[in-house]
Amino acid sequence: MVKEARYLYSVARTGHEVMLGSIGIEKNNVYIVPYKDIAAIVHACDAKPYKTEDKKLAEGWVLEHSYVIDQATKMFGTVLPFSFDVIIKGNDDAVKDWLCRDYENLAGELLRVQGTAEYSIQIYCDHAYLETLVLAKNQELVDLKNRIEDGSKGKAYLLKRNLDMKLKNLTYSETGRLADQFCSEIKPLVKELKVSGRTSWTPEKYKEKKLLATYSCLVSDEAVKKLGEVLEAINCKEGFFVRFTGPWAPFSFVRLQETG
Amino acid sequence: MNPERESCLVEVLDRLLNKGAVLNADLIISVAGIPLIGVTLKAMIAGMETMLEYGIMEDWDKSSRELYASQETHIPLFPGEQILYKTFGYLREDEGLIKCWVPGIWNITSQRVILWVKTPGKVLFETPREELRILRVPASHEVRKELELIYPEGSARISLSERDEFEEALAWAAEATEVRKESELML
Repeated sequence: MVKEARYLYSVARTGHEVMLGSIGIEKNNVYIVPYKDIAAIVHACDAKPYKTEDKKLAEGWVLEHSYVIDQATKMFGTVLPFSFDVIIKGNDDAVKDWLCRDYENLAGELLRVQGTAEYSIQIYCDHAYLETLVLAKNQELVDLKNRIEDGSKGKAYLLKRNLDMKLKNLTYSETGRLADQFCSEIKPLVKELKVSGRTSWTPEKYKEKKLLATYSCLVSDEAVKKLGEVLEAINCKEGFFVRFTGPWAPFSFVRLQETG
Repeated sequence: MNPERESCLVEVLDRLLNKGAVLNADLIISVAGIPLIGVTLKAMIAGMETMLEYGIMEDWDKSSRELYASQETHIPLFPGEQILYKTFGYLREDEGLIKCWVPGIWNITSQRVILWVKTPGKVLFETPREELRILRVPASHEVRKELELIYPEGSARISLSERDEFEEALAWAAEATEVRKESELML
């Protein structure tokens, strides 16, 4: 039976027809469909989305998809990574038609991300340490703390409540100030930066720490070393910890305009 | 420092399911114009609340938050009852056909622990704070932080991103009650 759709992994800069072998989802044969100097990296599949009730199987598919993107990056340099389960209706000609129609857009994006990669930065801090810093710097809080130690139980309770609230607010604004400061140190070294208030995963060693900031950065290959130095300096500050991972394909930075 | 190529499965899933380029619906497999890009997988792997946490449904979340904001309702309190602490969280609903995590605002008051849903204005769970005990549920999930609330009539499983703070607030509220009782006795 002829497979009437194409599962799309990424778009790369290459003009040659290459076989990547059986490295695709469920060992599908991955190959490229070229148009001019760009190409889509695909495997032939049925015109229906990948769907299963089996979680392990689904996770396996996602990892296989990720592996193909890594291999394509090794072969062709930075690629435009596609999300899981993007399946183009039709055969190789349909893929070629799309490449032809969207050529300017795709080639432009490939040029924009050429020689770059995505890196992920998470900055954690020791919350208790930050609080002691804030407390030490603020005379009003120091006075309040002293009055708690001298006061009766009931009064001490009210004062403690007041102190906790003030300390919490001040620590919160200090966190914001530090995040801004680190961001301004990182920003000049990267081509693009996206701030996120969350992270999908926290390694065990940072579990007790507070997440100060998460950044996704598009970084030129030659700027990675310098960025590493800046992050090292942050990591060396007492009470701060940096997790720096990559390089990844530019998942957070591909912008494709809608074509009619 | 050098970047590490360390990535756990959750991060790979986050990248591949939530990020990366997509194409418009007329080119790709879709149903009624809705692209089927990993929709089923996202739902299955991540689960609804995780999708919120990961931001998959950020737009939905934003609009529902706006809806919450637009419909002002107030939590019914006893005379003299004060809200001491509140935080966003979930209650595990295991009864009935659908087992799910119900979102709402967890309130610790001077008398009770209440799960309040602002829209349409409904108390989903309440128990007197006195005689309430809490237990930490071991992490069965990378992200969710769960607690077991144990009260005389039964128990409930809840999930909070600010679990530590909630525990502290509860301990603090208990302490405050003790202090108040003592001062009332003195009077």
